[in-house]
Amino acid sequence: MSVVPSCPPDGLTQADGAEPTTLQRETAPRHCWLTTEDDGAVLHLTGQWVLDHLPELDAALKQQRIDPLRPLTLDGSRLGRLDSAGANRLIAHLEGLGLPFPNLRLSGFNPQAETLIRLVACRRSACAGPPLRRRGMRHALGWHVFKLGRAVVSGLAFIGQTGQAVAELMARPALLRTRELTVQMEMVGLRAIPIIVLMNWLIGVVFAYLLGIQVQKFGANVFVVDGVGLAITRELAPLITAVLVAGRSGAAFTAHLGAMKVNQEIDAIAVLGLSPWQVLVLPRILAIVLMLPLLTAVADVAGILGAALVADWHLGVTPTTFFDRLQERLPMQTVVFGLVKAPVFALAIGLIACHNGFAVQRDARSVGLNTTATVVYSIVAVILIDAAFAVAYPEIK
Amino acid sequence: MLTDAQTTSMAGMGQRAPGDEAPVVEVEGVRTRLGGRWVHDGVSFAVPRGQVAALIGGSGTGKTVLLREIVGLERPTEGRVRLFGEDLAAVTPARLNALRRRFGLLFQDGALFSNLSVAENVAAPVQERLRLSRELMCELVNLRLNLVGLPPETALKRPSELSGGMRKRAALARALALEPELLFLDEPTAGLDPIGGRDFDRTLRVLADSLGLTVLLTTHDLDTLYDLVDRVIVLHEGRVIADGPVEAVAQTEHEWIRSYFMSRQTG
Repeated sequence: MSVVPSCPPDGLTQADGAEPTTLQRETAPRHCWLTTEDDGAVLHLTGQWVLDHLPELDAALKQQRIDPLRPLTLDGSRLGRLDSAGANRLIAHLEGLGLPFPNLRLSGFNPQAETLIRLVACRRSACAGPPLRRRGMRHALGWHVFKLGRAVVSGLAFIGQTGQAVAELMARPALLRTRELTVQMEMVGLRAIPIIVLMNWLIGVVFAYLLGIQVQKFGANVFVVDGVGLAITRELAPLITAVLVAGRSGAAFTAHLGAMKVNQEIDAIAVLGLSPWQVLVLPRILAIVLMLPLLTAVADVAGILGAALVADWHLGVTPTTFFDRLQERLPMQTVVFGLVKAPVFALAIGLIACHNGFAVQRDARSVGLNTTATVVYSIVAVILIDAAFAVAYPEIK
Repeated sequence: MLTDAQTTSMAGMGQRAPGDEAPVVEVEGVRTRLGGRWVHDGVSFAVPRGQVAALIGGSGTGKTVLLREIVGLERPTEGRVRLFGEDLAAVTPARLNALRRRFGLLFQDGALFSNLSVAENVAAPVQERLRLSRELMCELVNLRLNLVGLPPETALKRPSELSGGMRKRAALARALALEPELLFLDEPTAGLDPIGGRDFDRTLRVLADSLGLTVLLTTHDLDTLYDLVDRVIVLHEGRVIADGPVEAVAQTEHEWIRSYFMSRQTG
């Protein structure tokens, strides 16, 4: 131990039988080098053994030809700085070679570094397995299939529980939370009116304008009324309104219920002996089912007013002519057909939104994921239901 | 990401030359007005390198607010906060971020990233700073989890699947990820069982001693004061009413301090 050279001479690495390459000569002495003594090998450490240099430390260690059968001493007398990452790399490397920490001798370390090495050696576990796992193809496939299956089961369970809650409510109407219901009706219905009116009015304007260009070619300006009346009341108004409500109220339901779930408020309701379905789910679903047809009726009016405006300006169809012809050509049945679709859309949106809200895990990320899922799934559901209605009642008077 | 020059200069600053430097944390005449009342009314203290200091005080005395002001998340209404000798009110945002890379903060409830697993949470600060091979990163994450006493099977779990105490340990592992010189802990042992709490204190003590780590923590835990802390700073009604080693502070003649230290005997 006493014969330690003050700087690493090039020949010393050769004494161990290693062939010094140029690379080794350049990099090895920067962090560590090996010498042989009478009582075994000595690994001299120098420079910064810290996190920022971890890749170089690793490379330097791998270049040393350490014989695991001979006793090894670690010499820290020239060591600059040592942190836990550096100490851990050193111990892990030696352990990998078959030199566990208790078999090592430490010399020349300052007390702080020695405490650190001992702490790291005592706390680190030999092989705890890979903490960063990559998901293979099969794993990913299985995970997604399993997740889909679980979503189907939990969706069915949610529908079942909601049905049960409705049955309870019918048996005991006193269970109805009127306050929550009216609050939700205001949020879903009343507050949505401005955006619904504006959007449908614009759709009416655009649709009448484009249709007007076509009918003008035939000099059949007044026929714009037939087309606009049918399109708006049967398809455009119910669909646009449902999509807007899905994005507005559906997302709000999921985010609100999800945040309550994260906060354990839903558990708190259950522990109070109340049913979360009666308190939270039914008022929301009832509110949306009641309000969506009303909003659709508002949307019908707004769309037709927009169309009437364009017909007057662009096509020379006066409002009197427009509404006379509308009365004559648009059967009540078509309007009702559009309004009947609305509560079905609403039920789908409400169920999807509340289910996704209850399915939130206890973290911020899943609130965002489930809110997105609500908007996407409910718009898809609205369009699928609309297609089913169109197929079931194809006749247009 | 840091440029090479910045990294080198930071490593240079990390070299601890004893005795020639300003205190790591310096709070000077801080006054804070919150909700129409002065939460801090002239708070001053300094923490030298290598010291483990605790801020104590009743609920609502602004311990957490003070900690947030020291790390630059909030600004005091009046007064000055210096970190590593630099005035936080005067530094540029880039400089503040460089300073922030030199300390770790353990939030009261962990504040782990909920979209990442525990292992990824611990790896995240390291990945932002330097590129490591998978093996080295795994080894490093394992070490951090072992240092804070988390069993290896928690590494793949998400924060939402952990108990409160486990989450706290995972957050400490993340705070330690970049080998900070300075560590802020907000209520570190709250939510841990007594055995885990003492073990946590011992780990912190060893890390502080062997890394020359400076620690500033807030706590309600009397055992932490006796086991871990070099110095206790007592906040009461917006001022520092006592400052010194725990034994000396415990002897202070003040109603609040007396009832605080009495709570252990009677409780």
